[in-house]
Amino acid sequence: MSRVFDVIAAEWEKFRSLRSNGWLLLASLLAVGLSAGVTAMVVRGYDNQTPDERLSFSSVGDGLSTGLPVAYFVLAALGALSVSSEHATGMIRTSLVAVPRRGLLLFAKAPVVAGIGLAAGLALAFGMHAAAMAVLGGRADDRLLDGTTLGTTLSQPGVLPGLLVAGAAGAAAALVGLGVGALVRSTAGALVTLIVILFVLPGAAQVLPRPLGPRVGSFMFENLPEQIAHPHPEGVLGPIAALALLIAYPVVALTGGAAAIALRGRRFRPLAVGLAATVLLALVPALPSSASTSALTWSKCRGEVECATLAVPVDWARPQGRKITIRLGRLPATGTHRRLGVVFSIPGGPGGSGIGDLEKHGASFAELRRHFDVVSFAPRNVTDDGPDRPRAFSLDCLKTGPWIELPDDRAEFAALGERNRAAAEQCRRADPEYFDNLDSASVARDIEAVRAALGEARLSFVATSYGTVPAAAYARLFPGRVRAMYVDGGDGGRPEGEAEQRVRYASIERQFARFAAWCRATTTCALHGRDVVRVWQDLVASADRSPVPVRGRGVAYSGFDFKVAAAPSVVSPGPMPQAPRWHELAAAIAKAAAGDAAGFASYVEAVTGSPKPMSFRGMNMTHCQDGLSVGGYEGYRRLRALGEKVSPNFAGNELWHPLACVGWPAPVKNPPAAPPSRGLPPMVAAGSWTDHDDTAYLVRNVPGSSTIRYDGSGHGLYLSGERCTIAHANRYLLTLTPPAPGTTCAPPAPKP
Amino acid sequence: MIEVIGLTMRYGEARAVDDLSFTVRPGLVTGFLGPNGAGKSTTMRAVLGLEAPDAGEALVDGVPYARLDRPMRRLGALLDAGDVHGGRTAEAHLRWLARSNGISALRVAEVLDRVGLTPAAQRRIAGFSLGMRQRLGIAAALLGDPPVLMFDEPVNGLDPEGVRWIRELMRSLAAEGRTVLVSSHLMAEMALTADHVVVIGRGRLIADTSMAGLVAGFRSDVLVRAADPARLAAALRAHGATVTPVQEDDAAPGPGTAGPAAPGDGSGTARPAAPATPYGSDGGAALAVRDMDARRIGEVALAAGVALRELRPRAVSLEEAFMELTGESVEFGAAGSAA
Repeated sequence: MSRVFDVIAAEWEKFRSLRSNGWLLLASLLAVGLSAGVTAMVVRGYDNQTPDERLSFSSVGDGLSTGLPVAYFVLAALGALSVSSEHATGMIRTSLVAVPRRGLLLFAKAPVVAGIGLAAGLALAFGMHAAAMAVLGGRADDRLLDGTTLGTTLSQPGVLPGLLVAGAAGAAAALVGLGVGALVRSTAGALVTLIVILFVLPGAAQVLPRPLGPRVGSFMFENLPEQIAHPHPEGVLGPIAALALLIAYPVVALTGGAAAIALRGRRFRPLAVGLAATVLLALVPALPSSASTSALTWSKCRGEVECATLAVPVDWARPQGRKITIRLGRLPATGTHRRLGVVFSIPGGPGGSGIGDLEKHGASFAELRRHFDVVSFAPRNVTDDGPDRPRAFSLDCLKTGPWIELPDDRAEFAALGERNRAAAEQCRRADPEYFDNLDSASVARDIEAVRAALGEARLSFVATSYGTVPAAAYARLFPGRVRAMYVDGGDGGRPEGEAEQRVRYASIERQFARFAAWCRATTTCALHGRDVVRVWQDLVASADRSPVPVRGRGVAYSGFDFKVAAAPSVVSPGPMPQAPRWHELAAAIAKAAAGDAAGFASYVEAVTGSPKPMSFRGMNMTHCQDGLSVGGYEGYRRLRALGEKVSPNFAGNELWHPLACVGWPAPVKNPPAAPPSRGLPPMVAAGSWTDHDDTAYLVRNVPGSSTIRYDGSGHGLYLSGERCTIAHANRYLLTLTPPAPGTTCAPPAPKP
Repeated sequence: MIEVIGLTMRYGEARAVDDLSFTVRPGLVTGFLGPNGAGKSTTMRAVLGLEAPDAGEALVDGVPYARLDRPMRRLGALLDAGDVHGGRTAEAHLRWLARSNGISALRVAEVLDRVGLTPAAQRRIAGFSLGMRQRLGIAAALLGDPPVLMFDEPVNGLDPEGVRWIRELMRSLAAEGRTVLVSSHLMAEMALTADHVVVIGRGRLIADTSMAGLVAGFRSDVLVRAADPARLAAALRAHGATVTPVQEDDAAPGPGTAGPAAPGDGSGTARPAAPATPYGSDGGAALAVRDMDARRIGEVALAAGVALRELRPRAVSLEEAFMELTGESVEFGAAGSAA
């Protein structure tokens, strides 16, 4: 045994007594310079862009990617030269006289070159990282659209292990060089072989079409360390497969080298051992991924979206009972990066189709799809017309409903209940069992069935608008199945009551003040130069006394009707600075103040088919089973009084939805409740001026959660492509790191 | 002790070494002789395990070299002084060699001193002359203080002073009781150094004998010129001498017929070369006389009354003996072969 150590020590003496090795190691510092230089070029481009454009940059990561192949090449060259230079000078004969066992001579070099590769690899990895991060400075933490940051500093999870693995792989690189050197024997031949392995093949992989190119690239030597250590690497391999490959590279090379020696010495045992090890290691990446075994059959259906169907019990209390079929949609992962799982997008409404969202807003998910399949569905309560709509209820049933008026006394309240019940029963008759199971908890159980069918252990969520209600129900019912949950512009799950209504009134009042300010500042506003608040309050007051007719339509708007019709436009001005809906609203108000509500009627009718806002039964089916309620006549009186106290411009507006549930025939099955404080991962809520505070309520009890406040109008920030918000959300979905408390996003400054 | 037993090495169809057997014993300098290409270096590489034999084996103290534990302590070898990396210093080169065989680093300075390279110890080998490289190679061979030493053409590139130094080194190593095998293609060099010679040609053993035995195998004669060669020849023959008429232009003595026998009989013999001297038809003026020394020839001539014109004892040179021995086996002779 001591003899083996003597030979290893002799190889160390050989290595350190050659000055050329020192020069070569010094040359490896080129890798550090390269990392710094490329990063500096990125920074120069980055600084010249607007903050919004910067979001589209590709991450520099830990700063190793450009320098690493160079570092590995130098270390591999050291390994190769340790053999090939002996052949070139003839010293191999002297070495073999000193150590006649050829195999021992080769493998005594292994610990020496591996040790040097390890030490130099670590030094270079940390050097490249430090250089790149120094060049990036504070920009390193800037978030990008794909959820990464421009740089990844040591404080980020996975970076330190990544550097350690990348450095340690220097040992593997040196051993690959040693094996190639022993196999090829000539220095030039060995260096060319290494250039092919470390530069030519990876370069060739990059020009292959997607996703084949990135997949092939995943198998390249320099791309393996990241796939071993990084939680969301660029490559497609799992950490174990990548580790096996990283070991396989030197094993194959050394087997080749040992084989060349064995064939000369006419001994075949090392050859057989190496071949066996190579085959075993090669099998590991080939093993089928155990990630998911889906029971679903997907087929192309709309554009990029793939579709599948799943049968679920109509009544989850009777799982063996009657089944209904729900339709699923999927934007598959791009296959260029390691797949981390499924992001489930829960659509709003209630009644929106998530498949439609994937089709219309697929671009919002483009970056997320590097690591995730994005799956959604047309929930059981979908009301959007189209192929996804369940045929149990007629379109008329889903898309129409009564006009709601504020009842002024107990008798009017009872009459409202009668009207509501009669309208509901018309629809319920078609399928009472289905009608009684349209609550968001049933929707959440459907999502759980989808999860099981997908074969995913956990799901990540993007829930938009009313989709946050089934999301909250899912978090409550299946907390252990939640990997991450991002809720955007939705219902906070606070029981309908004074607190909830205060928040909403405060929100719409602030937004109305913004509308008024905009009109003062905007010459094209129809009310420009007038006191908008005064005009509005006079209009509402006079309409409450005497409704304002829609000329030629036989309908008239009460003050309440005006509020209900105006509120969506106040909340959503449309793209700024054009603000088309604010222009439209100002014109409608001006016209109504002059005695004609036609301006309101025309845009309301365009959206709803009715000249006055209608309370859709399809929406109420879910609202009412989710426990939306004014709390009886007394509760209604209290809430109405509250509105009149706190909301000079929109008093009563927040009663419109809950009043539709007075007298509803189906049972409340999913009363409002925020997710529990235990058993859930940190969650993230995002919202605009008008929906942030309500949404924030949903995550307030879940430890570690935070919110993103968008300083602007809007609703459904992720789906509508708000890039700053998407960057934060993607970062959370990718890394499970919620944004810092107090995070805000601002609308991008308009281009000059 | 080095034993070569039935060693056969082929390169394709050609046999570089063909069923070669010999033993190198301790306490002697054994010369390993043969013309260039005879298979000396190939045999030495086989002894060191650098090449695998096709048949037979080569043993060092009864064991193949490759199986020796720390082999440089058992056998020191200088094959090619150029088998070094020019980027290292002499000392660094010896240091890794010492380390590889568990030899104390103190030996490095000792052997550098012994070969006279101490002043150049810290210089890079790339700047060494061939002679300095030979000394470095010898230093490497001596590093493990081995009982067996093997040198392939060690005097190549050495100046006369260096050559003498090598000679003395070989002799002193043998005097220390070591086994010393030295190859050369120069018989004259070996004559001054070797106690024993192994001669090979075309990979086959030609002679394995002591230096004295080799010389004895090629006896001397006496060249005689006389006024009446025929009468003198008769008189000499009557006194038991062997007399051969010699043509005037043939100055070389013929090799003896005694001694050398067929190779492979293991009795330490050399193969005879056939007498090539044609018998002069005119009786000639000169006689080559054997089995009788000059003094006795003079006495016989006086008794026979023949006047002598010349009486010259002739000794065969080792070089000539070597040429005779290996004449047939020269692979790349200067003269054109049967073309």
